[in-house]
Amino acid sequence: MYRALAVVLLVLAPAQVVAQGVLRGTVRSTQGAPIRGAMVGVAGSTLYTQTDITGRYRLAAVPAGQVRVRAAAIGYSPQATVVSLTGGDSTTADFTLEASPLELAPLDVVSTKLPRFGDHPVTSVAQVSEQEIDRRAVNTIDEAVDKVPAIQFLNGQINIRGSTGYVQGLNSRVLLLVDGVPMNQGDRGGINWDLVPVDQIERVDILKGAGSSLYGSAALGGVVNLTTRDVPSGVHERVRFTGGIYANPPHPVWEFRDQSGFQGGGDGTWSYGNETWGASISGGARHSDGYREEDSQQHWQVAAKTRWQASPRTRLDVSGAWADDKYDVPLSWCTQGQCVDLGQAYQPFKTDTGGRAAWTDSRKGYIAAQARTVVSERFAWQARGSWYRTDFFDQRRDTSEFGISNRFGGELRAEAHPDSARTVLVGTEATFSDVTSDVFGNHSQTEFSAYAQSEQSLGRGGAHFNAGARMDFLAVDGGSLSAVVSPRLGGSLPLGRNGGALRASVGRGFRAPSLAERYVSLVAAEFGLRVVPNPNLQPETAWSFEAGATTAPFLHFMRADVALFWTEARQLVEPQLIILSSDSSAAIQLQNVSEARIAGLDATLLAAPVSDRLKTSLSYTYLSTQRRAPDSPNAPLAYRPAHQLKLAADYALGAAGVGADFRFASRPERIELEGYVDPRRVPMKVLDVRAQWGHGPLELRLLVANALNYIYNLVPQTLAPVRTTTITAVWSH
Amino acid sequence: MLQTPVRLAGLAVIVAGFVTACDKGLQPERICAPDLVGVCGTIHFRGTIPDSTDNVFVAAYATFPQTCNDLIANRQPVIPGSVPYTDSAAAYSVALAPRGYEWVVAVWKKVGTLTLTPADTALLRVAGYYRNPADTTQPGGVTVPTGGAAGSIDFVADFDHLRPATDFVTCTAR
Repeated sequence: MYRALAVVLLVLAPAQVVAQGVLRGTVRSTQGAPIRGAMVGVAGSTLYTQTDITGRYRLAAVPAGQVRVRAAAIGYSPQATVVSLTGGDSTTADFTLEASPLELAPLDVVSTKLPRFGDHPVTSVAQVSEQEIDRRAVNTIDEAVDKVPAIQFLNGQINIRGSTGYVQGLNSRVLLLVDGVPMNQGDRGGINWDLVPVDQIERVDILKGAGSSLYGSAALGGVVNLTTRDVPSGVHERVRFTGGIYANPPHPVWEFRDQSGFQGGGDGTWSYGNETWGASISGGARHSDGYREEDSQQHWQVAAKTRWQASPRTRLDVSGAWADDKYDVPLSWCTQGQCVDLGQAYQPFKTDTGGRAAWTDSRKGYIAAQARTVVSERFAWQARGSWYRTDFFDQRRDTSEFGISNRFGGELRAEAHPDSARTVLVGTEATFSDVTSDVFGNHSQTEFSAYAQSEQSLGRGGAHFNAGARMDFLAVDGGSLSAVVSPRLGGSLPLGRNGGALRASVGRGFRAPSLAERYVSLVAAEFGLRVVPNPNLQPETAWSFEAGATTAPFLHFMRADVALFWTEARQLVEPQLIILSSDSSAAIQLQNVSEARIAGLDATLLAAPVSDRLKTSLSYTYLSTQRRAPDSPNAPLAYRPAHQLKLAADYALGAAGVGADFRFASRPERIELEGYVDPRRVPMKVLDVRAQWGHGPLELRLLVANALNYIYNLVPQTLAPVRTTTITAVWSH
Repeated sequence: MLQTPVRLAGLAVIVAGFVTACDKGLQPERICAPDLVGVCGTIHFRGTIPDSTDNVFVAAYATFPQTCNDLIANRQPVIPGSVPYTDSAAAYSVALAPRGYEWVVAVWKKVGTLTLTPADTALLRVAGYYRNPADTTQPGGVTVPTGGAAGSIDFVADFDHLRPATDFVTCTAR
């Protein structure tokens, strides 16, 4: 026993026997500007890091000798160089990256759970860079993610290739990670997109398709990872103010207030760091009058992050955030006779009388700690622990609801590179969630899991192949364990040297029902029906297939990526109308009712027709869905538009730039609980235009979201945002 | 040389895409048209639409019909227009003379030709009718004002419970 423990400690302890050096340097653009967030590392090893705000990086404990170091960043061509290091010495290697607007996702941290770059992922991965987040002048990160091909937000719920639909916030078939730490709510399983201040987010990575082989529950339709800004060396401050105005209703008969609605806020960040440690703290608040009746919102938040390089090989990160939102809830728009309807069949800017004076106070926060030790260039381990707490209070007309939930998580994983062509990842994870609520009761759920994945490069052509699986054990309220196995297999094959590649993957995803889905018990005011619990809900599962291709640049200014995907889902949880045997009344219950097929096409065309000044993209997503349930065999799945089109264009000229985004989604063929809600719905056609200008530490941005003031809804009786004009000023030092 | 037109075409596609953003979206919907003299409202549809459905129409009766003959002869309008029935709800409006009406009814019609005789009842079923808000077991009365309309005459049409004329009136065997 003691001998085995000694062996484990020996393996985990940092090795000191090999001569090592420190590699440091900068990554800059050809114009000399520092590139923040660029990945620098030794391919096929545990040695990698990211540049800070000044473009600097530092890799400690690099083995002496000649090493091939690579640098890559979004929107730039990757570069590699061979560096000679002497043991105990510090060597400098600077990189100058050439802008390459056609570069497709050069970094990938979600498909393999490890930062990797330069190679092609085996499944579709999309990214939103810091520059794209900044340009779009968004208040919450979902507004930027919404522009990504094949993604659609329905009233705050993310759909990746039609994964979730709209389930009134009671679950999510997409997993949210913050710096790799799962952050879906402990009670409802949903996502709070304002958990992390948008100004703290450096990059968003999105894995499309099932990711449960590495990430477990909720990664049924995809995974979204938010990477927060690292603490740079030196003293830095950043202050941001935003102010904006909502357009009035386009028709006088829809007017509901005498003056225009405003929104605005401010936040600031201060940080200090050196090579050993660093810390940042930020805080901010914003207010919105809302764009419809009873739609005001107050928000405040604080966040902090620290890093400590405990030794050349061990780094510890601790981060946390707390946000409080108090907002009115316009439950559903007014239909005829349910408000002062002015002779209208519906009033989309007004609230139904039955849903008046509804508001929610939602508080959420997390603290997460991660430690990573590079034992050698071939082996590293990482441990993390996290606590995510949510607390809500809903005030409705005649009643109120509350819920407090905790989600505790821990993970230990090891990364091994037996040789430069192979990477092996093994890990174990545990999650404990509990809820105390008058609508969900007092319950808990425990999940234990173990996973492994091996990735092998084949030959010199750059082809690689990976295989992995994860086993999850679930228990509710300390009851018996149920097990779910999620395997995945994938490979990619480069086409020549210009960046084209073929890829294919197959994997299984699952989602454990949330505690809210199992135990919810309330009266749904929108429908006037009771919602009754169903403790016997089973996990949803899905097999997900994908085959795709990325082309090399063609016609000198274009590049394309096409993916065909196919998902076969089982045991999907959906609301069902039932008749209660106790009193023969109608009620809603969540049940495992349907099997479903979601198949389609996800295609993106990038073009840079005027050098790197003008960058455009066109993406199209086709969804064919089929719901196989006893009550409606072969009907389409609800809330899945068959066609989505997204266009984006950005033109940069020195420190100034202009851009536009256009999003189209066809009218969803089917909605749920039809007959109980107003079925009015139209296609989505939204145009956003923006401009920016920078001078020294100051940057000004103008965003006109929904510039044409197109009036539409994505879910029944809920008006989507109208034209909103926002000016943002950012001062960084 | 070939690239310039291709680039221009690409830009044109993008510009065309932005231009298609111009559309109306949700629009105001009057409960009743401003010039309507009659009744209007919304029919909420329930149940499975029978394969033999020809159409659904709304008719009104100044006095509740007593016989099959009344059902056909006293119907207003005599030849009603159809109401879209494939969605879960549809707005309707019916032009009527200003006066009181005791029965506003949604009628389901089977495929077949109407003869405007009591024999038509073989092709017709009562799908639903406007009900008295104070006693929903009873039909609701409606008054069409002079030069105006009675709005919010909403009711449910249930395809699973289509009722024959004989549930409401007496029909002499023919």
